[in-house]
Amino acid sequence: MNWRVIARTDAALASAPRSTRLVLGLPAVTILVAAYLYPVFGSEPITTARFAGFVDGWLATVVPLTGVLLGHDAVVSERESGSLLLSLSLPHGRDDFVLGKVLSRVGLVSGVILAAMIVGAGLVVYPFGRLEAVRFCGFVATTVAFGAIWTNLGIAASLSTATKQRAFVVAFGLFFLLVLVWDGIADGLRYGLDRAGLVDGSLPDPVRFVVDLEPGAVFQRITAGFFDPSASVDGPWYLGEWVALAVFGLWLIGPIMVTYSRFAGSDLS
Amino acid sequence: MTAITADGVSKRYGTVTALDHVSLSVEEGEIFGFLGPNGAGKSTFINVLLDFARPTDGSAELFGHDCQTEGVAARERVGVLPDGYSVFDRLTGRQHLEYAVRSKAADDDPAEILDRVGISEAADRPASDYSKGMKQRLILGMSLVGDPDLLLLDEPTTGLDPNGAAEIRSILREERDRGAAIFFSSHILEQVEAICDRVGILQNGELVAVDTIDGLRQSIGGGTKLLIDVDELDDATTEAVRSVDGVETATASDGTTLEVTCTNDAKMDVVVELQRRGADVMNFRTEEASLEEMFAAYTRGGRA
Repeated sequence: MNWRVIARTDAALASAPRSTRLVLGLPAVTILVAAYLYPVFGSEPITTARFAGFVDGWLATVVPLTGVLLGHDAVVSERESGSLLLSLSLPHGRDDFVLGKVLSRVGLVSGVILAAMIVGAGLVVYPFGRLEAVRFCGFVATTVAFGAIWTNLGIAASLSTATKQRAFVVAFGLFFLLVLVWDGIADGLRYGLDRAGLVDGSLPDPVRFVVDLEPGAVFQRITAGFFDPSASVDGPWYLGEWVALAVFGLWLIGPIMVTYSRFAGSDLS
Repeated sequence: MTAITADGVSKRYGTVTALDHVSLSVEEGEIFGFLGPNGAGKSTFINVLLDFARPTDGSAELFGHDCQTEGVAARERVGVLPDGYSVFDRLTGRQHLEYAVRSKAADDDPAEILDRVGISEAADRPASDYSKGMKQRLILGMSLVGDPDLLLLDEPTTGLDPNGAAEIRSILREERDRGAAIFFSSHILEQVEAICDRVGILQNGELVAVDTIDGLRQSIGGGTKLLIDVDELDDATTEAVRSVDGVETATASDGTTLEVTCTNDAKMDVVVELQRRGADVMNFRTEEASLEEMFAAYTRGGRA
């Protein structure tokens, strides 16, 4: 149970600075603003399930930013300063240490998303909306998992670098590539292939599969396929929501496992 | 039970050999000083014990648990003051101890330990504001949590004034008397001499000697160096001093200064001999043989 001590200490330390609160406020404000606007601008019927389709695009940008900002210094700041050596000279394994860090940081993001979603559901339902509890809970769980994916990517950057600055560059680079320019690259690819006469308006399905491996696209496909009744996914089976769910799972554990195993085998000083 | 067992521990970084087949064992209830100049590999050895660094060759155990494969179990009964640590930025001294208490599932009272290491008045200040000496005291306090059976301390008296260093030594003696083994590294001979039952000397990654301090002193010669300024010095006088019982070497330097290494008891005999031969002693100093001199003496003696 050593990871508990690590998680508890880290959560207390990480949540104290104002910068952390600002970062954590981002998804909360986004969810609340969306929940406030959705009954005004959304089409009938107003339900918490269709709210999922309204807010998921916003969350696909904001949650990754929060995740990498919160995750990227989890390990490396202690490694750079040397307080990591204090923790690891106590009877904590490196596995306890990383697990505790992951639970702490993911817990912070999850807690904020959960709380904002509960209040947001109230804003959607009151006075004219309808609560569709099962689908909405599924969507909240998916959003929490999406937050965990990006927090883990941040922590993965933290595990694989030796200085805070490099961790920030790697983590923010991932955010920049996968969130900010990914769609542009896909559009450029489509435009290029289209102009070359190789495709007819849209990317071939296997290429779309590769392009849509990006976590935000996966998140939106899961939302459309499982939770938002106004949307659906089309195309061959490998573009379906179940495959998306499996890819989602890989994002959740893959990067953190790979970087952890390297961290576990390395010399710390 | 054996607290530390190292069996042919080697560590290479690329082509640089930091540790070269170091084997030693430390028993429960003994204070073992790990001596060596900066860069000799002392910290690397301790880092292997703590699994911060993986040995290229050989293995090390704490209380029978392999330091690499059973690291958590190995550190269970150990208190540590590591090299190159830093305190947690936003935790107070008291919170540092609370963290150690929780981590070791111990039931120590943080206030009591802070008092013992002499920083209770700073208990509720952020530890990042502490001076180097206070940080050392704090981490030493953390290492005492849970009455460990072994204390692993890397240069524990760094940043402390002589009084502080003496306080630390008395704490270490108390711990030893409780039954704990203590393994600490230092590059300052006096610190080691004042407290250690045995010492190991590390040089360029090689363990060149393991012995008691007295044993070491004997094997390298007297250890005390006299510097005597006389009004006039001739070869016959130097020769006479050299023949005094207990004198190892006597050499003239700068014409009127005599350098003598000898046992403690022989100091007065040397002065008496000089006066007997009519040499006026103008000035008289003693110097502890420095660590470097001890090394030089030891390795010369060892390889001759």
